[in-house]
Amino acid sequence: MAMEISRRTFIKGAAAAGVVLAAGTYFAWDGKNIPEKVKTGDVTYDVLVIGSGGAGMRAALAAAERKELKVAVMTKLVPTRSASTMAQGGMNGVTGVSDPTDTVESHVFDTIKGGDYLCDQDAVEYFAERAGQNIYEMDYMGYPYNRQKDGAFHQRKMGGHSHPRASYFEDRAGHAMVHTLFEQCLENDIDFISECQMLEISMDGDKLNGVIAMDMRTGNLMGVPAKSIIIATGGYGRVYWVRTSNPYSSTGDGIVAGMNVGIPFKDPEMVQFHPTGLSANGVLLSESSRAEGALLINKNGERFMSKYAPERMELATRDIVARAIATEIEQGRGVGEGIHAGVYMDFTKIPAERIHERLGQVYDLSRRFAGVDITKEPVPIAPTCHYSMGGLEMADFHTGESRVKGVYVAGECSCVSVHGANRLGANSLSEVLVFGHTAGDGAAEFAKANSYVGNQDSLAKACEKWKETFDKATTRGREGNKSVPEIRDAMINTMWYKAGVFRDEAQLTQASAELDALDKEYEHCYVGDNSHVYNTAFEQYVELGNLLQISHAIVQGALARKESRGGHSRRDFPKRDDVNFLKHTLIFKDKETGKYRAEYKDVVITKYQPKERKY
Amino acid sequence: MDVKLRIHRFVEGKKWEQNYIVTLKTGMTVLEALIEIKEKQDPTLSFTCSCRSSICGACAVRVNGNAELACEMLVENLVKRYDTTELTIEPLGNFKVIRDLIVDWDPKYARIKKIKPVVQPKDEFSKETGCKQSPEDFNKYKKYAGCILCGSCVSECNKNTLNQGDFLDPFVFVKAEKLVADSRDKSPEEHLKAVVDAGLWRCFNCQECTAKCPKGLDPAGAIEKLKEATFKKGLDDNVGARHAKAIYDDISESGTLDESKLNIKSEGFLMAGLRAPMALRLMRVGKMNPLDTHKVNPEIETIRKIVKNAEAAAKEAE
Repeated sequence: MAMEISRRTFIKGAAAAGVVLAAGTYFAWDGKNIPEKVKTGDVTYDVLVIGSGGAGMRAALAAAERKELKVAVMTKLVPTRSASTMAQGGMNGVTGVSDPTDTVESHVFDTIKGGDYLCDQDAVEYFAERAGQNIYEMDYMGYPYNRQKDGAFHQRKMGGHSHPRASYFEDRAGHAMVHTLFEQCLENDIDFISECQMLEISMDGDKLNGVIAMDMRTGNLMGVPAKSIIIATGGYGRVYWVRTSNPYSSTGDGIVAGMNVGIPFKDPEMVQFHPTGLSANGVLLSESSRAEGALLINKNGERFMSKYAPERMELATRDIVARAIATEIEQGRGVGEGIHAGVYMDFTKIPAERIHERLGQVYDLSRRFAGVDITKEPVPIAPTCHYSMGGLEMADFHTGESRVKGVYVAGECSCVSVHGANRLGANSLSEVLVFGHTAGDGAAEFAKANSYVGNQDSLAKACEKWKETFDKATTRGREGNKSVPEIRDAMINTMWYKAGVFRDEAQLTQASAELDALDKEYEHCYVGDNSHVYNTAFEQYVELGNLLQISHAIVQGALARKESRGGHSRRDFPKRDDVNFLKHTLIFKDKETGKYRAEYKDVVITKYQPKERKY
Repeated sequence: MDVKLRIHRFVEGKKWEQNYIVTLKTGMTVLEALIEIKEKQDPTLSFTCSCRSSICGACAVRVNGNAELACEMLVENLVKRYDTTELTIEPLGNFKVIRDLIVDWDPKYARIKKIKPVVQPKDEFSKETGCKQSPEDFNKYKKYAGCILCGSCVSECNKNTLNQGDFLDPFVFVKAEKLVADSRDKSPEEHLKAVVDAGLWRCFNCQECTAKCPKGLDPAGAIEKLKEATFKKGLDDNVGARHAKAIYDDISESGTLDESKLNIKSEGFLMAGLRAPMALRLMRVGKMNPLDTHKVNPEIETIRKIVKNAEAAAKEAE
C-alpha cells in the first residue's frame, strides 16, 4: 500500500507540474450534445428516432442505409444508458446452429402459447421468420457472441421455449447489443440529439410537424421538424417505482406522447411481474436461483409453494410463483413492511461452492443491497415489475407504422402484439431487432415518398407553451403542496396494491379515483429547482406526469378486462375467457376532455386455436 | 450512524461545496444516498443514473478522489475503507462538468470515432450468414466487450490530466483492443494505426485506469496488448516503439540501459539533437557522462534467461 501511494503521488505530482489540477474540468462545455443545425433550425429530419435503446438505434441504422436521408436519434440521457443494456438472457431466433431440429413454426407456437393466446399470430409469424436473420446481421455488425466449436454463435434454451434458440454474450446480452449498435451508429455518423427530453409530438390535424424537446443542458425548448418519427422510448415499469427491475428512465414518455396524438395504448394492463426481485429495491435475482434449488419460505418457515403448485413447487411459471408470493404477503405471512414486504428465498441447502460457481451475481446483489450472505441466511424477495407487454399500437407490422401517419413505433414502448399477455425470455431483444429494423425501413420509405407537410410555426408555439409550463412548475413555492417524489410515492402505493399482481373491480375503481386525486395534486406540485441548466427535478416532474397517465391507462385496461390472462390476474374473474376477451384492449385518450376510453380489437388467429396453457 | 457527504456543486458557473447528512442504512449505495438527498433535502442536487445495477454506466462519480459507480458502491464500505464518516463526492475527473455531478460525454464519443470503432468483417463473411469464430478466438477479446462506458478509467488518468489533446481515454483503447483481437476483423492494422496516431505510446503506465475499472477490464493491459500488436503488424516505426525496442536490445545485449544512446535510438539523431541542452544539464550535474563506456551487467547470462523465459511465457499465453 505504501509503495502504491508513493508511486501514485509521484506521478500525480509530475502531471500537476504541467497543468493546474482540477481547474481544467470546470471550463465551459461545448454543447455538442445537439448538432448545430438542430439548434439553428436548419434541418428537417427525414427520420427522427426518439429513444436510444436497442430498438431506436437499430431503427436508425436501418433508415440510414439510404444515404440520402437525414436520420437522428434523440435521447433524454446519453446513448448507452437504456433499459436494453439490462437484458441478460439473449435474443431468440431460429438458426438451427445449436439445434438443427428447431423450426420457425416451433418458435411461433412457443411465443403464442407463452403469451396466453393474446398474441396476433400473423405478427408472431412475421417476427419469428425474421428473428434468425437479424441475429446473423448482428454477427456481421460485430456483436460479441459466445461461440460453439464449429465457429457459429451458440444458442441456449430459455424458459418456455422448446428448443435452444437464444444467442447471447455471457449474461449481458443486452449490454453487448446496445454497444454494438452504438459503435455502428458512430461509424455511420448518425446524428445524436443527446440529453434532450422529448416533451410532445407536435401535429396540426393529421399533419406531423415534429417533436418538442428540452435541451437538458441549457433548458432551451426546441422544435425539431421531422417528416417521420419513430417512437422507441421503452417500457413503463416505473409506475411501480421500487417494485420494478426497470431503470429509472422507463417512464413511458413516448407512449404518453403517442396517446396525446391519437395512437391507442394497446393492452396496457399486460404487465409482467417477475417473482424474485429483492425486497429492498426491486433488483432482479435471476430465475436460475430457483432452478438451482433455492426454496421459497414464508414468515412461519413454511415452504408455501406446496399450496399453490404442489408438483412443480418453486419451479412453477413466473406468474404462478409471483401470485403465490403476493398472496402470502397479503395474508400476513410475509416479512418486512409496506412496499418492501416480501418472503424469504433460501439458498442454504445449496452447497456454498455451487452458489459461488453458478449464482455469483445473485450472491453479489444480495450481499450488496440486502446485506445478506445467501450461503448462510435467506434473502427477502418479492415480485417486481419486469416488462411491459402493452404499448402503442403498431397498426402495420410490415412497416412499424402506427395509425397516425408518419409516426412509427418499435420496441418495448410498442405493442405489435408479439408478446400477448406474457413475454417469453429472450423474445424482447429479438423483438427490438426485428421491429427496430422494420420500423427504420418503414419510416425511411415513408420519408422518401412524402415531403414535409408540417408547420414550423406550430412547433414554435408549442415551445412557448412548454416554456410557460417550465416557468410555472419550477418557480412554484412549497405552500402545503406535495413534492414530486411525494406524489410519486402515493402513486406507487395505489398502483402496487390496487393494480399490481392481483386486481379486482372494487380496488381498480378505487385506484382510478386515487389517480384522479393525484392528478389534481400534480397540477400544483412542488418541483423545487428553477435553474435552466440540467434541471433533473423538472425532468422528473415531466416523467411523473407521464407515469400518472400510464397508470390511468393500466387501470382502465385492467377494469375493462374481466378475465385473468398472462400477466393480468383478476381475483373476481380468475379464469381466462376466450369467448369475450380474445381481444386487445385499446385505450384512447380524448384530446378535449383528457378522459380515457376503452375499445377492443380482435386478436388475429392464423392456425393456433386457443388451448389451456399448461407447462 | 450519520454520514456527512461533502458534495461538489456547480450550477450555472457557480462552484461551491455543500454538506449533507444522511443516516446510514443497510445496503445504502452512494446513489441511494444521493437520491435521498434530492428527494428529501435538496431537489436542486443533480446527477444522472439509470439502471442502478452497474451495467448502464450512467452514475460514475468520484468519492474521496477515486472513481466509483454510485449504484454499486455501499456507503458503509466507503466509511470502512477510509475510516471516516465524512465523504467527498465530486464529478469524474478529466470530463468537463455540466452541472453538479453531471459531466460532458460528447468529446469522448468523438474520440471513440477516431479508432474506426466497428469490426470490418473478413470477405468470406456476410450479412446473411454471419461470421465464424472459434471459442478460443472469442475468448481473446470477450473481456474487452464488457466495457460499460462509465468513464471511471479516465477519471484519474494522469496522462489525460496532463494533456487530453494527444492521447485517448483508456476506454477507447479497450474498445480498440476488442477490435484488434477480434478474429472476424480483416484489417486490425486500421484500428492500430489510428491508436498509434492518437497517442498509444504516450500512456504513463500509472495503472490508475486498471485500478478504477468497476468491471475489472484492465485498460492498462489493453494498452500493452495494443503495443505488442503494433510490433506484430510492423507498425513499429515511431518513437514509442523504437524506445521500447532500444530498451529491449540494451537489456538483452548488456543487461543495463545505455541512457546516452537510448534517446538517439528512439527519436533519431535530429530530434535527439534538439535535446542537447537537457543533455548538457545532465552532464553538468553529473547524471550523464558521455565518456563512460556502456557497462555489461555481470549477471548478463541470468538476465538473458529471464528475457527468454518471459518471451516463452508470453507466447504460451497466446
